[in-house]
Amino acid sequence: MAGTNNDKIEPTLKKKMISNDDLYRHSSQYNFWSFTEEQLVNLRKQTNLKGQKIAKDKFQQEYTNSKLSNPEIFDKFQQELKEENLLNLISYEEELTFLDFYIQNITTSCNFFKMPTQVRLTASSFFKKFYLNNSVMEYHPKNILYTCIFLAAKSENYFISIESFVKPLSKIDSEHILDLEYIVLQSLKFTLMVHHPIRPLYGIFLDSQAELLHPQINQDINIDKLGDLYNHAREWLNKYYMISDVAFLFTPPQIALASMYDIDQKITENYLKRKFLKNEKLTTIKEEPESTEDVGRTQLTTLIETIQKCISVAKQSHVADREASKEIDRKCFYALNPKNLIDKRIKKLTNNKEST
Amino acid sequence: MSVAGPQPTVQLPSVSTPLQNYSKDKKVGEGTYAVVYLGKQITTKRNIAIKEIKTGLFKDGLDMSAIREVKYLQELKHPNVIELVDVFSTTNNLNLVLEFLPCDLEMLIKDKSIVFKSSDIKSWLLMTLRGVHHCHRNFILHRDLKPNNLLIAPDGHLKLADFGLARSLGNPNENLSSNVVTRWYRAPELLFGSRHYTGAIDIWSVGIIFAELMLRIPYLPGKDDVDQIDVTFRALGTPTEQIWPNVSSLPMYNALHVYPPPSRQELRQRFSAATEKALDLLILMTQLDPKSKTN
Repeated sequence: MAGTNNDKIEPTLKKKMISNDDLYRHSSQYNFWSFTEEQLVNLRKQTNLKGQKIAKDKFQQEYTNSKLSNPEIFDKFQQELKEENLLNLISYEEELTFLDFYIQNITTSCNFFKMPTQVRLTASSFFKKFYLNNSVMEYHPKNILYTCIFLAAKSENYFISIESFVKPLSKIDSEHILDLEYIVLQSLKFTLMVHHPIRPLYGIFLDSQAELLHPQINQDINIDKLGDLYNHAREWLNKYYMISDVAFLFTPPQIALASMYDIDQKITENYLKRKFLKNEKLTTIKEEPESTEDVGRTQLTTLIETIQKCISVAKQSHVADREASKEIDRKCFYALNPKNLIDKRIKKLTNNKEST
Repeated sequence: MSVAGPQPTVQLPSVSTPLQNYSKDKKVGEGTYAVVYLGKQITTKRNIAIKEIKTGLFKDGLDMSAIREVKYLQELKHPNVIELVDVFSTTNNLNLVLEFLPCDLEMLIKDKSIVFKSSDIKSWLLMTLRGVHHCHRNFILHRDLKPNNLLIAPDGHLKLADFGLARSLGNPNENLSSNVVTRWYRAPELLFGSRHYTGAIDIWSVGIIFAELMLRIPYLPGKDDVDQIDVTFRALGTPTEQIWPNVSSLPMYNALHVYPPPSRQELRQRFSAATEKALDLLILMTQLDPKSKTN
């Protein structure tokens, strides 16, 4: 790739053509935001531990302060006011549930502002990336979510002024968003380009017409069928792409193909065979032992395996549990504001005392 | 289309480095949204430029130009595109660390003591086109190509800079703004207010820069947007339905004075030093219909 050579203008003769795959491998999405499943789990576990530690430190500070200012209460309620009886941190699993619940609000908010799909998808990508390295015990997802939408709108050329943005939102001021905007950008490692599967899906839709719409190939396939497939694939992406982790694990064209494959396996396989095994019938003379059709066949098998894996990951995404999320939200509030937790408990204890 | 799954990341981003890694030595410019300093990367002694963007300055948060610049330069690593070395933060400021490029094509064009050889022009043009090609194959339009934004490194490399107006070529139905590119380098479809355009607008700009390199004065210096239309078509002929089907349906296509297209002889006279091949290329890059422009 030319990008690494800074010394000389490279000779142009006999240079290998740079493919779209090569270009993708130079994208920030590939270099900073693509993971294996294990890496993803480890990263999130680490982040959860980091969040717990931060919340704990914060708690201990408040705890010490409170103890100093109310020595007689702490003396009296030694058992009730023990650290471990107060502290209730959010676990790795709870954090996942909570974020799954929150991400759904992106769709509601973006639809409210009539923002294009691109903004909605980019905002959810920002949100997910933010919480790979930050815990909800450091930043509450509510304000981060709106900040991600605001930044995504700008990044995707759909500018909206901060006044019009916060006006319909309850309990959110411009400063909340603007103060966080920079923190979000930093957590995104200053990378804003997000490649979604929408465009590859459209490209494949167009290409599949060129490949499949010949009567001699397959009489069952017509333009309406391909159009339906495309529309259903888009709905599939709406349902699974934004919520699940596929964007961290697969490339956009792989995800696009997965959506088609899951809707109509027969047409999608038909199309892929045309793409990868094109020369199969034409090559009658074998010049090389390793012919192109063998390579094509191997690539096709690998691709179909990847697509199947992608579908299963996409559908793994857990259902967001509103009730569980409410409970986690409470924990989250106290993790972020430990003073409220301690004060509330003290108040409860002293009130009980008065009533008895 | 990639068949293999993503590989584990090995490369870690070199972002958020504290200011101590860089020195800000001298203020060299102040733009609308940023101040530019010259400095050094402390560890390597490498000369760099720091573009300090004041994030607290704008009521709507981070400025769109800053967002675009960061967004696109993070993706475009190429010998003919300015290198974004690092991004870091200081209190309330976003700092873009860029490679140090002391000179630009506008300075060279204006310095009449420098004689351009045809080999100079050829290599600048080639390097510009390589940079533009890299943008376009990544589906990014620069949208502000002009001599002032083509910077020259100490070793002679030319690099595209200032991505504050750049954007991704997104979905086919998306509306784009026609109010882009500095006036003198604005393609006809933009002058006509087209909301859908392609990389051809950047190629037009390169064509006009090519002409300027040969003439050593701006080729189409319109005084305002209306005059730009007149200046452009007086030089290159007014587009008609014959040479550019459907041109008359563009929003601003009206009340045009119809100039005939220039003959080859006229162009030869205007660009007296140009070879026949140079003229061919110029004509190709300044085709009025964006669909017939070379890419």
